[in-house]
Amino acid sequence: MADWRRHRILMVSDFFYPNFGGVESHIYYLSQCLLELGHKVVVMTHAYANRSGVRYMTGGLKVYYIPWKPFLMQNTLPTFYGTLPIIRNILIREKISLVHGHQAFSTLCHEALMHARTMGYKVVFTDHSLYGFADIGSIHMNKVLQFTLADVSQAICVSHTSKENTVLRLVYRKGADLLVEVIPEVCRLFPQVRFIVGGDGPKRVRLEEMREKHSLQDRVEMLGAVPHARVRSVLISGHIFLNSSLTEAFCIAILEAASCGLLTVSTRVGGVPEACTVFVLLPRPNLL
Amino acid sequence: MGDKQSGVHAKYDYIHDQESSPSPLDAHHVEVRRSGAKPVAACFFAALVSAYAFFAFYSKEKPNILAVWGIPLGALLMMKLCWRTVKKESVLIMPTFGVQLETHYRSGRIIRRFVPMGKILKPVLQECVTPVTCYWCLSLLLRDEEQLMLVFKEIRSPLKMLIPIWKALCAAADEGGGLEECGPDG
Repeated sequence: MADWRRHRILMVSDFFYPNFGGVESHIYYLSQCLLELGHKVVVMTHAYANRSGVRYMTGGLKVYYIPWKPFLMQNTLPTFYGTLPIIRNILIREKISLVHGHQAFSTLCHEALMHARTMGYKVVFTDHSLYGFADIGSIHMNKVLQFTLADVSQAICVSHTSKENTVLRLVYRKGADLLVEVIPEVCRLFPQVRFIVGGDGPKRVRLEEMREKHSLQDRVEMLGAVPHARVRSVLISGHIFLNSSLTEAFCIAILEAASCGLLTVSTRVGGVPEACTVFVLLPRPNLL
Repeated sequence: MGDKQSGVHAKYDYIHDQESSPSPLDAHHVEVRRSGAKPVAACFFAALVSAYAFFAFYSKEKPNILAVWGIPLGALLMMKLCWRTVKKESVLIMPTFGVQLETHYRSGRIIRRFVPMGKILKPVLQECVTPVTCYWCLSLLLRDEEQLMLVFKEIRSPLKMLIPIWKALCAAADEGGGLEECGPDG
């Protein structure tokens, strides 16, 4: 049986009571459940109007309303090290053993997780959001999330869809998961089509699993990492270049393929429509 | 005789004086331990600012008239850092009469505040949160007053030092509040 011990948990988020919402309710009810199990829970959030200081809620839930003004959409101003003194003070005086941050859009959450990891605490992150990859806000948020998730002890997602979305955001850019869905379907519809996949990365495993699952070993050739000097020789061995990126500022690969005489098919994201307007077929990426 | 509790905190000393005759007086003092480096550094810095102001003002090459403001600035800085430093804060509890709160500065100035016992509703320990820190403070809930009165205005002493003072204030307030409830007609 696993060794069970009581923890002193610090929940951090920009979103808490007196605001009402999914994240706020989640934090409150999770805290109540943990209190019933015998753990000690402290919540840290920013001040709301004249609600500032220390308050106690049902079950002895202690809430720190830090007098930081919300900057934008209920978020505190990101200062990186501005919140370090108060976060460190709370971690030490409450003898916290675990820090649990909520919501990707909460700047206070990201800063608290960063400082807690720096001080050697275990941290957990729960993602409540579900968003895309192509617009500037999502791209920025994904970069921040990569930074945070690189060093958390555990990550929790509130649904299976959220889990897929969060995992995608970690190596989302080149759309390898789109290929996993598209390749078997194309092979089924067009028996004469073969795929040559060049490149390496964390998603290569998924492509190889797809190949094994659908028995496409003779239809899908995995080259692995291709040195740049060999790119041309690989390109001219094909007829169609498929780009499944979920975000691209320009996509030089399309121009390289087109200059080698290939017909180019690409997802309509980012700067791709500007790079190629004449000879490409441009669907919008849709995993559904 | 005072009961000194040092070593509880690196910055403060707690002294408890209790006299039983001719009249019972319960005195609690929190003294700030003197740091030798701080006044020396403050005076050096103030002298540096003043010297720069003199040099800039009287410089033959390019006198800076505005630098004359550096002289009173240096003097104010020295005053703030050396003379307005708190030496100790005291709580004198006179049962059934009232509570006197004193702030002693190193310059010799003493600020006294007296609160009649009947005015005190309840002494409370509370946590104060600022944008950069969180600390405990001892306050008095006063009758017919909206604002709390801080017992220690300048010093942020640790919780271990505040607890015995809070207990003594609670005991005195309960005792004094019981007599006050009788009213002027008895």
